[in-house]
Amino acid sequence: MTLPKTFILKNSQKYKHAHFAFVLSLALTIVCFFNAYDYQEGLWSVSWSIVTLAYLIGTVLQGVLIQLLKKDLRDKGEIQKRTRVLSTLQLLGITVGNVFITAFAFRVLRKEESIEYTLAYYMLLTNILIFTVSLFNIFKPYVSNTFLPSMSILALFIIFSLITVIIFGKIDLIQGGYSKLKWLGGVVLLAGFTGNLFGFVLGYSILLKTVIRDDSKIDRWNKFWLSITKNFTAMLGLLFVIFTFSISVISYGTFVDRFATENNYASMLMEPSLAYPFGTDDFGRDVFSRIIYGARISLTVGVITTIIPLVIGGFLGALAGYYKNTLDNVLMRILDVIYAVPGILLAIAIIAAFGSSTTNLIIALSVGSIPTYARTMRANVLSVSNLEFVEASKALGESEWKIIFKQVVPNSFAPMIVKASLTIGTAVIATSSLSFLGLGVEPHIPEWGNILKVGSMYLETNPYLAIFPGIAIILLVLSFNFLGDGLRDALDPKLD
Amino acid sequence: MTGARNKEYEQALQKKINIKKESSTYLNLLERYKQQYKNKQQFFHRPVNEKEMNDEAANLANERIQEMAEKELATENLTRENYATFFGKCLEKPLFVIVTFIPGILMYLLLLVYPRPMIRYIAERLVQTLFVIISVIIFVFTILHFSPTDTAANILGEAATMEQREAFNQQYGLEQPYIVQLWDAIKGILTFDLGSSYTGNENVIKTISDRFPITLTIATWSLLMSVIIALPFGIISAAKRNSFWDYSFMFIALIGLSIPNFWQGLIFILTFAIKWNILPATYYPGDMASIIMPVIVLGTGLTASVARMTRSSILEVISEDYIVTAKSKGLLPRSIFMNHALRNAMIPIITIIGLQFGGMLGGAAVTEKVFNISGLGSYIVDKQFIPDIPSVLGGVVYIAIVISIVNLVVDILYAFLDPRIRSEMKKT
Repeated sequence: MTLPKTFILKNSQKYKHAHFAFVLSLALTIVCFFNAYDYQEGLWSVSWSIVTLAYLIGTVLQGVLIQLLKKDLRDKGEIQKRTRVLSTLQLLGITVGNVFITAFAFRVLRKEESIEYTLAYYMLLTNILIFTVSLFNIFKPYVSNTFLPSMSILALFIIFSLITVIIFGKIDLIQGGYSKLKWLGGVVLLAGFTGNLFGFVLGYSILLKTVIRDDSKIDRWNKFWLSITKNFTAMLGLLFVIFTFSISVISYGTFVDRFATENNYASMLMEPSLAYPFGTDDFGRDVFSRIIYGARISLTVGVITTIIPLVIGGFLGALAGYYKNTLDNVLMRILDVIYAVPGILLAIAIIAAFGSSTTNLIIALSVGSIPTYARTMRANVLSVSNLEFVEASKALGESEWKIIFKQVVPNSFAPMIVKASLTIGTAVIATSSLSFLGLGVEPHIPEWGNILKVGSMYLETNPYLAIFPGIAIILLVLSFNFLGDGLRDALDPKLD
Repeated sequence: MTGARNKEYEQALQKKINIKKESSTYLNLLERYKQQYKNKQQFFHRPVNEKEMNDEAANLANERIQEMAEKELATENLTRENYATFFGKCLEKPLFVIVTFIPGILMYLLLLVYPRPMIRYIAERLVQTLFVIISVIIFVFTILHFSPTDTAANILGEAATMEQREAFNQQYGLEQPYIVQLWDAIKGILTFDLGSSYTGNENVIKTISDRFPITLTIATWSLLMSVIIALPFGIISAAKRNSFWDYSFMFIALIGLSIPNFWQGLIFILTFAIKWNILPATYYPGDMASIIMPVIVLGTGLTASVARMTRSSILEVISEDYIVTAKSKGLLPRSIFMNHALRNAMIPIITIIGLQFGGMLGGAAVTEKVFNISGLGSYIVDKQFIPDIPSVLGGVVYIAIVISIVNLVVDILYAFLDPRIRSEMKKT
């Protein structure tokens, strides 16, 4: 009997999640600890010390929970009630921003994994994070006119998400008989319009299971999302990506443009403080607001420079793969030429010819990545177009275009999505790199690369100007990479 | 002349046929074919048609007779004159064979190369690379050529007179049509003569050849560093799959992939040069300590991707059938891993390294700007602000050429190393 239980322990996603949360929490504790102590003056900062202590308690508790989990799984084969109750304490981690242990606590609290429950608590976490980040605006000299209404709506959303979490903590939609919940689904779907895409997914999931009730669709949906929701790194990536997207939407209501874009010579190069959490730059602009505004540009450029080559490359690749021989050879040889020039250099050449602007940057980066998408699509189409169902539709006399775009392309699209999610990160890096060189987004626009360019000039005196935008880039790119790895596991199990 | 000879031949043939038709063989043949027709109709239960039978028998007999006559004529050294026989005779003369080399040298080469799979593969890749190189020149030149800015006005300033601009255009051949300029560019790139740059009047090729070594040095060191670091970590991760070390290494690798080069460079300068003061912040030629930071920064991304690639490549190989066979034979897990999994997993890793090397030469531009290295990358960036077309063209195209050649070498090496590719080549 011991063998199955060690097997359970080894394969328990919750146990792995516990370790992951512990390590990250420990790392954050150490970072906070170094921030709390001032080397030059030998003083302890009170506020940082409190935060460090809070993180330390969370980390220690997490360590205890790991041991408990281990004991539970090894001896009993399942998580005991005492461990669940204890993990409730970890929910408080969100008060100091430790989303890792909070997400873990939410997960352990429910006995069975549930897609709706997971999505609901991630929606709640996103809402709380957005609310907290937006709240920093109250330390500013003044706030925007729409600040109060926006914050009230956000607060309402938090309460609403909390209710959703509690509801789905109790029930399971699989059992059926919850048709009243379709109203909840509709409201959650509406919440998605604040940029909190978890709302869209959750809302659709609820509607799918209460209104549409198409078993094959539900089955496919469950299979995909169970794989994603069980993967804590993918969910963490998704959390940060959606947070970034959502805050770029909500910042229209809660942030004041002037702090980010207009010069203020009274507050030049100020150290980080409550009013200016990331300090101010050489023109007295608030770096915090600039980074939030920069998220819009980075996300937009990153997504567009992924979608354009995805569509063009995918189209060319599909044609090349379906009509083998001549067309394939011609198209792929032409794309080989673009492939031979490194992306950044091609972008530099295009920008040298047509001048630096956001549009040119998008075109320049898109052209460079068409060949890789075309290659991926071609390889997939080559293998799919030999399958029986394609032969069947040929035998039925379908037109070739219909076969390509209704049968072949949808069935060979999964690797393209994986590739896209992995290359959005690269596109974000390329955008900021080119802006950093002065070849990308116009210098007055708060883009992360532009902010870093200013920061690099004050590296010796005001290093925080360069550190914070860099961390923002890393977090966003890392999140996309986590998400991409998760999508690959979910869509393409043979690669795992 | 051939017409006359053919006529002679036709007459001889006709004569032979006529003689044959008189003989008993012809009658025998007719009788045989008639019988054959009858048997056939009987078999299919069809009525015998007298006229059809006679026609068919006559046709078949005539054909047979003609064949026999041609054969007999051939024994008397008389054949119908056509291309094959004519050239067959010509080829017997050695002088003709030597003369055919003049128009047919390419065909002879093709025949020489084609039956040997390895040489054919190398030749095909060579031609492909040459095609890519020429096309890259055309591609990059075209992009730069159709720039909407007026180069002369840009470089001489708005105040320049029309005559000055025309003189400038004349000096750099900018007034010529696109095709002529394109031809000059292709010739210039291939013969290493791109003239002088628009500003500073420096020889483009000389500047590029001065600046290329440092870029190549840093890239090569980064490559070495990443291979030395990434391979062991990738192997450990794959061997101890899903362990704590696997997760930690892959997490660190993912962070390495997510760090922008320039930010990492800035943080390194901040930490190692400004705070701890152990490494110089910018690069000085000849100072080996100052090359350490650029090498690490440039190599981080490659290290991360090679480590991830190594891991996934090994994991893929481990699930192959031949590993199962090795296990069932009772080989030690250790020797399976070292001798069977690792060796086969190395092959895709080499390709990835070759491909990534190209990306690294491109990415060098950013790293070079951060550490103030006057390499080829920072040269292209500096020149594109003007924009100095010959310099940008030369820089971009030569880097692309180097990358193409590296990939060519990797592909050929691959063909020598991997027996699967060799057997694949023999099949086609």
